[in-house]
Amino acid sequence: MLKGIGASEGIGIGKALKLLNKPIVYEDISPSDPTEEKKRFESAVKVFCDRNEERAKRMDQLGSDGEILRGHTAMLSDPYMLSQMNELIDNGACAEKAVETVCDTFISIFSATDDELTKQRAVDVRDIKKQLQKILLGIEDVDLSRLPPDTILVVEELTPSMTAEMDKKNVAGIVTEKGGKTSHSAIISRSLKIPAVLSVENALALIQSGKDVIVDGGSGEVYTDVDDALREQFLAARKRFAKKAEEEKKFRGKQTVTKDGVVKKLYANIGSHKELEAVLDGDAEGVGLFRTEFLFMDRNSMPTEEEQFEAYKAVAVGMRGKEVIIRTLDVGGDKNIPYMNLKKEENPFMGFRAIRYCLSNREMYKSQLRAILRASAYGNVSVMVPLVTRVEEIREVREIAEELKNELNVKNIPYKKDIKIGAMIETPAACLIADLLAKYSDFFSIGTNDLTGYIMAADRGNADVGYLYSALDPAVLRAIKHIVSSAVKRGISCGMCGEAAADPRLIPLLVSFGLEEFSVNPSSVLSVRRILSKLDRKTCDEISEKALSMENEKEVSAYLSSLS
Amino acid sequence: MITKTVTVINSQGFHMRPATVFAGEMGKFKSKITLESGGRNVDGKSLMNIIAACIKCGAEVKIICEGEDEKAALDKAVSMIESGLGEE
Repeated sequence: MLKGIGASEGIGIGKALKLLNKPIVYEDISPSDPTEEKKRFESAVKVFCDRNEERAKRMDQLGSDGEILRGHTAMLSDPYMLSQMNELIDNGACAEKAVETVCDTFISIFSATDDELTKQRAVDVRDIKKQLQKILLGIEDVDLSRLPPDTILVVEELTPSMTAEMDKKNVAGIVTEKGGKTSHSAIISRSLKIPAVLSVENALALIQSGKDVIVDGGSGEVYTDVDDALREQFLAARKRFAKKAEEEKKFRGKQTVTKDGVVKKLYANIGSHKELEAVLDGDAEGVGLFRTEFLFMDRNSMPTEEEQFEAYKAVAVGMRGKEVIIRTLDVGGDKNIPYMNLKKEENPFMGFRAIRYCLSNREMYKSQLRAILRASAYGNVSVMVPLVTRVEEIREVREIAEELKNELNVKNIPYKKDIKIGAMIETPAACLIADLLAKYSDFFSIGTNDLTGYIMAADRGNADVGYLYSALDPAVLRAIKHIVSSAVKRGISCGMCGEAAADPRLIPLLVSFGLEEFSVNPSSVLSVRRILSKLDRKTCDEISEKALSMENEKEVSAYLSSLS
Repeated sequence: MITKTVTVINSQGFHMRPATVFAGEMGKFKSKITLESGGRNVDGKSLMNIIAACIKCGAEVKIICEGEDEKAALDKAVSMIESGLGEE
């Protein structure tokens, strides 16, 4: 079994077809007649543009977006770009060389910017270069428009032109060597609803063309040793997935409402502004947890307020007035950031992390809060404080926010005046004083992943004690009930942003407790909306009463599993 | 030569789609059109150079037009940027 990143959910079963890039080789010699060479170049450009338009039309017909390909035509038609290439040919370069030189210049300019969208354009220029050179050299690729049924495509990376040409109905799955959840390949395969696993190391070397392959786009697993038993298992899984997807489709664009008419908020969790597309695609009604750690990781220094502002603003604007809950930096624990000089701790999960770190690094925290406040002028932004254990912490954050608001008032910088500040409830302490915290919080959001670990004092990654880690344990259920009830009593909204919020076994209990907001992975939104539509308070109260009367996790789990 | 400074208001700034529409429209004029932003000068008819300049939302852009139809070119450029470059 090979492991990669599951980027487009679903099960693909079929035969592998490897797409090896045919090398583009040309002789770099000066053509004898530059005028003739320019004509050759010109006709290649024409072929490129015509073919692109044809492919774009085909994509439009198939309901996907031909815009990327039209963008390639627009880029190549740039008079500056063309005149540069022609000038090089005038000076003795062959057409292939001229294309390479000018494209490479833009690839390096685009890649060197610190703007993510501009960086992505380098992929397009690379694609244009390859396509144009292939036309000049008369290289024909594997004909992707005629594929055998149930093909699992194995490629280095999926390019827009490949996608356009691809005979999609015969592609059962995609495996790539490059790309993450937000890459071109991921976006394309999701929009085509083809199961895809990306970033599988050495996939082209490890997978043989013609062999049976199974792709699980949810778990990110690729099986290359397929026997009958495995095939049966995945055929069944594929059937279940198709049925579920079909049912869930009916819930797209619908309000999230229980059977007895109670409207719930159904939000999505994201770890970067780049996941915005997934949120919109998943049909979420807001962002219930926008983790901000990504802005601080994989770099050598703190991000500036401006950089943070841009990222927060992008999500605020992109969500068009829907709520976006931004969680302030949750560093420490298992998330170390080298330039922050965090000491190695004996007990990092009980140590200097999240709000504790932030309150003793005021200037850094202020710049994050200021960036969030400024971004709040562009949408419906809220602030969430992680790992709260004491009332003072949330009060201090509110004081800092007031201070920053006054500064912004003086400078006439806009922000959302009534911005909400809420507490993430994920420690036993916060749970026990939930009634007190509710006085100083505009909302609660339960982080079940850490809450379960802290309540059970068990690390789920530790094979010896991992069995204790379960959100269905009576102790955790009581904690959740207490937190939600405290919020309800105080009249503030309570949400949940841990994995448990999407667990069909737990959802009836959450409805019974009075949870208002469910924040889940973008791909789970429709599934949760469907589950909620089938529940009413009375039934949920009965289920909850019964589950809470049970004495151990095993019993609870068996009972709740039997219902869903 | 005439100039005017405007602020980019659409959320994406001069990215792929907006930049394509802008460069396409500018290409219809005879005048030389230059965008000055963040201390850099960019050919307003060149999509590639506009993208490379990473002109974002909120940026100030000085439009410089020079040629026989400079008035019309400047008017068009200003109205395009001020109306959000065709972005919703």
